[in-house]
Amino acid sequence: MSLWVDKHRPKDLLKLDYHKDQAIRLKSLVQQSDFPHLLVYGPSGAGKKTRIMCLLRELYGSGAERLRQETMHFTTPSNKKIEIMTVSSNYHIEVNPTDVGIYDRVVIMDLVKNVAQTHQIDSSGQREFKVVILNEVDDLTKDAQHALRRTMEKYVATCRLILLANSISRVIPAIRSRCLTIRVPAPTEDEICSVLHTVCKKEGLSLPPELATRIAKISDRNLRRALLMCEACKVQQYPFKPDQKVPEPDWQLFIKETASMILSEQSPKKLSEVRQKLYELIIHGVPPDMIFAGLLKELVRNCDMAMKCQVASHAAMFEHRMRLGNKAIFHLEAFVAKFMAIYKKFVEESLGDAF
Amino acid sequence: MNGTQKAKKWFKPLFEFDETEPVKKIKKNIPKANESQKERVQVSSYQNNNTISNASCKSWIKNFDPVNVEDLAVHNKKVQEVEGWVKCACMSNFSDILLLSGPVGSGKTATVYTLATKHGIKVTEWITPLDIEMPSEYGDYQIRESQSKKFLDFIINAANFTSLLDNNNKKLVLVEDFPNVFLRTPTEFTDILLQYKHRAKSPIVFICSETHTDNKNSAFHLFTPALKEQFNISHITFNSISTTGLKCALKRAVDIISKKFTSMYNIPSPALVDSVVNSSGGDVRSAILNLHFASLKGSQMDMETSVIQEKEVKSNKSKRKKNPSSKFMSLGKDQTVSILHGVGRVLNPKTATSEDGKTHLTHSPKDVIEQFLSHPSSFISFLEENYLSHFSCPSDVEMAASALSDGDYMLAEWREKTCQEYGLYTAVAGLMVANKAPISAWNPVRGPKNMRIQYPSLKEMPQLDKDYLYKGKVLVADYSTYCKIIGHKIENSPSVLLID
Repeated sequence: MSLWVDKHRPKDLLKLDYHKDQAIRLKSLVQQSDFPHLLVYGPSGAGKKTRIMCLLRELYGSGAERLRQETMHFTTPSNKKIEIMTVSSNYHIEVNPTDVGIYDRVVIMDLVKNVAQTHQIDSSGQREFKVVILNEVDDLTKDAQHALRRTMEKYVATCRLILLANSISRVIPAIRSRCLTIRVPAPTEDEICSVLHTVCKKEGLSLPPELATRIAKISDRNLRRALLMCEACKVQQYPFKPDQKVPEPDWQLFIKETASMILSEQSPKKLSEVRQKLYELIIHGVPPDMIFAGLLKELVRNCDMAMKCQVASHAAMFEHRMRLGNKAIFHLEAFVAKFMAIYKKFVEESLGDAF
Repeated sequence: MNGTQKAKKWFKPLFEFDETEPVKKIKKNIPKANESQKERVQVSSYQNNNTISNASCKSWIKNFDPVNVEDLAVHNKKVQEVEGWVKCACMSNFSDILLLSGPVGSGKTATVYTLATKHGIKVTEWITPLDIEMPSEYGDYQIRESQSKKFLDFIINAANFTSLLDNNNKKLVLVEDFPNVFLRTPTEFTDILLQYKHRAKSPIVFICSETHTDNKNSAFHLFTPALKEQFNISHITFNSISTTGLKCALKRAVDIISKKFTSMYNIPSPALVDSVVNSSGGDVRSAILNLHFASLKGSQMDMETSVIQEKEVKSNKSKRKKNPSSKFMSLGKDQTVSILHGVGRVLNPKTATSEDGKTHLTHSPKDVIEQFLSHPSSFISFLEENYLSHFSCPSDVEMAASALSDGDYMLAEWREKTCQEYGLYTAVAGLMVANKAPISAWNPVRGPKNMRIQYPSLKEMPQLDKDYLYKGKVLVADYSTYCKIIGHKIENSPSVLLID
């Protein structure tokens, strides 16, 4: 039994729940014989991948839905063997190049070359090209992005690339200009509510509208999270109650805990405890930018307006550094240390005023 | 010349006379010996017995060799330890095995030889022959016996048979020069030890020099703990010579100079001796070499000036300052700092106040960086892991943490070489300056954390669609929590399944 999120994923462009105008445009785009490389971007859980899968179905028919998993092997120039998971049909192949870290360039070059060099056997009635879907393009190394740029031009006759990203600010301009960039904005809270209602209806459940709005709010306009929350709510308690507790992601709770640790005491010893927490978050794969955002959100709640501004600007600076640097923990820790210093000063001053 | 002589020597070691004794590995001295032109005339007559120490000795370093046990620069306790073993082993007439390890120039070989002379033990040393293929008369190359076979034959013969001209039956076999075969296949070495243990009747001593950077460290590579256990090998570790030990040794050398070799050397001043001690870094052999060079009496003018120049460099070095570029920097040892030492220097900054009231750091950040050998980013990781426990005040920590952040940011720019240095400098200087009130407590240095991200595996979440490619980040951020909730409830209450 699969999750609601996977089970009720729309399969047709016209059956999408929101951004319908965009869907129609996409449909007409592929009805032409050819289309350019695509760069689809938008926040997590907005429905980028869903739209791409619909697009593929539109292109190749139901054959694009017969998927199989494969592990591909590559050898780096330094003779290191790497392997990567791919999902493919007869017409397309999908891969997360960032899974192999700094060797993403090798994967991109070899994979695209492999796909592009094999022509379709039966080209009558089919498209002449295959599709390569690359996830998380904004997290690729600069090296890999430049490699991508070259391969894009070289194999344009036999393969189309569909790139997925959260933000295009970290995609090099050369790639941006070679692709048709399509933005998929996050659904509004109302749209999420309506999706939740439709899904519950399909499952034969009744969802109180209050609960739907609450889920939509907590989910941070992330439809995937909203659906998962809804299903978790159902498992925890059914029939639904409007004031039912909606489970939050555990890493968010963890960040909240960490933030309250920071507020409780400002000392080097506490900082080293906080660092252990941050290590744990990073090692478990929570992206550092999400840690930054979560921490900031929790910390500024206890600040007055002037301090909020100060803290936010420091957070922005350290987050930017983190993007440019190598080791996320350094910058997270520097931010925490900075906050501790500011907060301690603030507390001491306000205590001084009180007497 | 020396090489071929050696190569011949090991061929029939049984019928060699005293010649084996002076085969100490002193490769360095050969070119240097030529410098002392005065001796050359006398040297031309071939001398068999090098052990007579006089000015005409070809190998001048022998002049300063320790004669008595008291002359050794090695710590007294250490010498006694080795002496105890040697006495015990030679009495018992068994094939005991001793392993001596320690840094270069810590007097391992000298200790063994001196003790052997004291107790009248004959030392036979193995020196790996040069592999020179000699064609036979038919022009083809002979198939020669393997290196390890030769080694075994040599050590067993040396251990069991006494030389004809030498009626001393106390023998000791010394191996300092390991045949390359054993580095490649350590198992062969085990076989040889086994054979030796069974057939030989004299103790054997292995000497291994240790270096920091050598990953093929023979002491650890060949002599594994299991091997030591198996053959009951005693292991004595030497430390590098202490400053006082070096001073004593050099004092003795100065005495010898002033007594015997005033024609050859200037009598070195105490200041010069001090600078030699400082620049040698606990290596007694290099200290003697430096002393020799620094106090040579030069008839030519350029020699004289060079010595003066060298003195300047050294006295500078003794204040731990670097002289930018001098030819004589090659003399003596460069100061290098191991990673832990470096971390300690940065995290416990010591300040000194100069006469004009300004405070400055005793080890300036620049020096720490320059003396440092490992990769900047790994050093910074070490600092980051350890710095917090040395700080007492949150505002200091804030400065230090931002310095580290700056440093990491600069290190990320790998295309510019200078950026690496700047990054390291920023981090090191930042940490040292920021720490105004360091906590001085015993803090063991920890290695940096392994930050390999472990995404949850698909097996943990059976609800997921098998043919769908999930991104690691998304799995962590969204799926994992809810899959746990959903999966957990289903397991506990199968009735839910029925409703579905």
